[in-house]
Amino acid sequence: MSFPILSLLILTPIIGALTLSLSSSTQLKNKTIFLSGLWITTGEFFLSLLLPIFYDKSKNGYQFIEFHTWFDKFDINYYVGVDGVSIPLILLTTFLVPICLLCSINSIQNRAKEFVIYFLLLESFIIGVFVSIDLVIFYVFFEAVLIPMFLIIGIWGGENRLYATFKFFLYTLAGSVLMLLAIIYIISRVKSGNIELISDFTFDQQIELVLFLCFFASFAVKVPMFPFHTWLPDAHVQAPTSGSVILAGVLLKLGAYGFIRLSLPFFEYASIYFQPMIFALSCVAIVYTSIVALRQLDMKKMIAYSSVAHMGFVTIGIFTLTQDGVNGAYFQMISHGIVSAALFLIVGVVYERHHTRMISDYSGVTNVMPKYSFFFMVFMLSSVGLPGTSGFVGEFLVIMSTISVSVYLTFFTAIGVILGASYMLLLYKNINFGDLKSDIKQLADLTNIEIFYFSCLAFLTMLLGIYPKLLFEMINKSISLSII
Amino acid sequence: MINLFQFIPEIFILSLILITLCFGLFNKDRAISLNTLGFILLSILLLNYGKDFYSSTQMSLNTINLFVLSKIILSIGSVVFILLLKRPLKNENLYRYEYVLFLLFAILGSFVLISSNNFLTAFIGLELQSLSLYLMAAFNTKNLSSNEAGIKYFSLGALSSGFLLFGISMIYYDTGSFNIQNLDNFTAISEIGLSLVLISLFFKVSAAPFHIWTPDVYEGSPTISTLFFATLPKFASLIFLFRVYQELNISDIKSLNYIFQMVCAISLLVGVYGAITQKVIKRLLAFSSINHIGFMLLGIMSYQFMSEGTLFFYLIIYLITTFGIFAVLLNLRTVDGEFIKISQLNGLRFTSNSKSISMLVFFFSLAGIPPFAGFFAKFFILSASINDGFILLSIIAVLSSVIAAFYYLTIIKNMFFNKSEIELLDDNNKTGKVIFISSGLIITLYFIYPDPLINLVDNLFK
Repeated sequence: MSFPILSLLILTPIIGALTLSLSSSTQLKNKTIFLSGLWITTGEFFLSLLLPIFYDKSKNGYQFIEFHTWFDKFDINYYVGVDGVSIPLILLTTFLVPICLLCSINSIQNRAKEFVIYFLLLESFIIGVFVSIDLVIFYVFFEAVLIPMFLIIGIWGGENRLYATFKFFLYTLAGSVLMLLAIIYIISRVKSGNIELISDFTFDQQIELVLFLCFFASFAVKVPMFPFHTWLPDAHVQAPTSGSVILAGVLLKLGAYGFIRLSLPFFEYASIYFQPMIFALSCVAIVYTSIVALRQLDMKKMIAYSSVAHMGFVTIGIFTLTQDGVNGAYFQMISHGIVSAALFLIVGVVYERHHTRMISDYSGVTNVMPKYSFFFMVFMLSSVGLPGTSGFVGEFLVIMSTISVSVYLTFFTAIGVILGASYMLLLYKNINFGDLKSDIKQLADLTNIEIFYFSCLAFLTMLLGIYPKLLFEMINKSISLSII
Repeated sequence: MINLFQFIPEIFILSLILITLCFGLFNKDRAISLNTLGFILLSILLLNYGKDFYSSTQMSLNTINLFVLSKIILSIGSVVFILLLKRPLKNENLYRYEYVLFLLFAILGSFVLISSNNFLTAFIGLELQSLSLYLMAAFNTKNLSSNEAGIKYFSLGALSSGFLLFGISMIYYDTGSFNIQNLDNFTAISEIGLSLVLISLFFKVSAAPFHIWTPDVYEGSPTISTLFFATLPKFASLIFLFRVYQELNISDIKSLNYIFQMVCAISLLVGVYGAITQKVIKRLLAFSSINHIGFMLLGIMSYQFMSEGTLFFYLIIYLITTFGIFAVLLNLRTVDGEFIKISQLNGLRFTSNSKSISMLVFFFSLAGIPPFAGFFAKFFILSASINDGFILLSIIAVLSSVIAAFYYLTIIKNMFFNKSEIELLDDNNKTGKVIFISSGLIITLYFIYPDPLINLVDNLFK
């Protein structure tokens, strides 16, 4: 297809942001700004819906390819295309960004124009990461994501936002620069940045191990994996609701996407060699962060730690290097993207009304906010992995595929499920049940807008839970190519 | 017979100096605008006929291209600088035409330095350049710190010139020649001599551990002079350093190569280490420039990979960014005078859109975050160095740029996240505004269409 849909997907938000920034801010009301941002991002969402419709699932390799020479001299090109692995993530992004804008119409009062602009830029950078099949352009987008996120946390975050945003930025940057060196080395060897060509190239084993570790540094921070996860709770707690949503929903997936897209096909030997290390780190992540989550007093922090645990499933699944495992991991990614985003929105709803995130400040919310409790329950159960919700499919497949590797691994992964159930149920119980506290009696139930986006998210979780084939059809072929 | 044709650029500047000397007595405004015109003319002249000037000499095409390109950059830089200097000098009651004269002498010195094939000529060029710089540092005669900066710069600079002369004389003793090109049959004596020459050049480009003067001189001098120190003379000295490295094949001399690598690593680290705690913006920029010098030295060492292109590309981007940053700084003043501290930038986001966003772009670019041009500059330098096998230095370089990101982010934090404490006066200098906005646009939009700049650099080296 000659229609440049991918470039259009990248450019639409940028053009929108430019138009917004050129309009004078004094005349525009906050609401108008948010509405125009919503129009742009909703348009973008419908545009991205064209991808699965026109994507030919029977073919191998990338589709909707666009190729332009960029740095002629160095054989670095603007080379974009999508396959089954990237399309669901693009859809997830374009789906979550309008929701982020929608949920912050009331909470973001100052500097609304900047907020919308940063979100639009963020969206186009993230899509850029998912569509690029040239290493340099991949890195450019991968890093550029940091800038709007740094500003979003830093400007609209909580009291301790500076610490959180610096930590987020520097951690991620430190990981990424090592990947940059590895990318440069690979390009100097292969003489091209094309991902397909690099997949066919075999490096010396020793060098491959080092290169793998360099990529690992970057992706492990992004995912985040166990020893590198400390930036995540800080960033989540301090970020505004919309920032947390996009962070948990999409940004964490960048790392896992990098593992599937780059690490596995590039470094087959190293992926097997480092399997035990990654399993060990992921098991620690699952068990340790789940226990930490159990003892959290702050709702957002609890969900942040649960994110680390859930992403542990993803890394385990990816590095089982089996079709089922990677499929499950990928499913878990998408599911976690929807569910954790929804849970952060859930926290955001009560925070906006009551201005505290402490679990102990809430009790018996279900008496005053029944609809809220209903949606909370749906997402909580999905996060726990109840059959019929999207959380179940991913976890089940991952646990099943671990048996082929080691029963001990299965044991630890399964413990994570139990622990996950215990902290989520505890959170739900403490907030929704019990005696109604006097100071939350006047809390209003969900507004129509909130009901609208929660039902969209809930619908998606149920749909994926009941009919997972929808996603598997899309990803099966591409994933089978990347793990061989 | 000496062919005067090849000295046309230098003669051109010399005549500009004479005209300014006479004309400036009567009308300094006109004299200064005349110089702008003169430099525009010179850059056009060099762009069109630059290669013809040197065609009668026996130099290789590569060297000729190097001369032409660096002279074009120097004259374009001078145009921008002359356009900028009027308002800041007026604000400090320093608006005298002598300032432009010093500038002209410094540029003349830089021209001579760049194209000298002889150590003695190089010495003359370097001294001509440096003496003007000392005067520019001390130009604000009523200000104590400006005087102090001038004297510090002068005394340390004199010391380094001593090193240079001593080194040159040792080389002469050993080889009996002042020529840079025909220098082989190295013995230990000329190695020592060359290392002294290198030390003096490292001093001029403020590479660590010969950087001690930089923060003090940057801080004390009038900001407009600081801008000059940070850009054009440094550029010229770096080009000369590059020529020395290339034409003497220093990469083959083990001891000197070792010195080069050590200085590169130390500059990278000292730059970031020193900058972290700085409260004064000019000091911070001084240390950050030391870090960038480290990158440039890395580029010099790995020039074989993609010819001189990577180094020049880095230099051009660095010059554009530095001009942009200083154009913003020169446009801002506090009630008490020039503004000094980083904390005085607080809340710039609320007072000026264009300034704060340009600064955001410049600092992210310096930190090497894509999609800004600074990233590509670093990317190419690192590509070159990894290809040439400087793995350890590359690792040091990228890690140092992570630390550097911290203090660049601190500045951005002050501008974007903090509330303003004191009122910043906006100078509303139109030329300044045009300069920082256009350099901001170049840095931002570079990635969309990178060919022109790359081709410009590339074509000149074909």
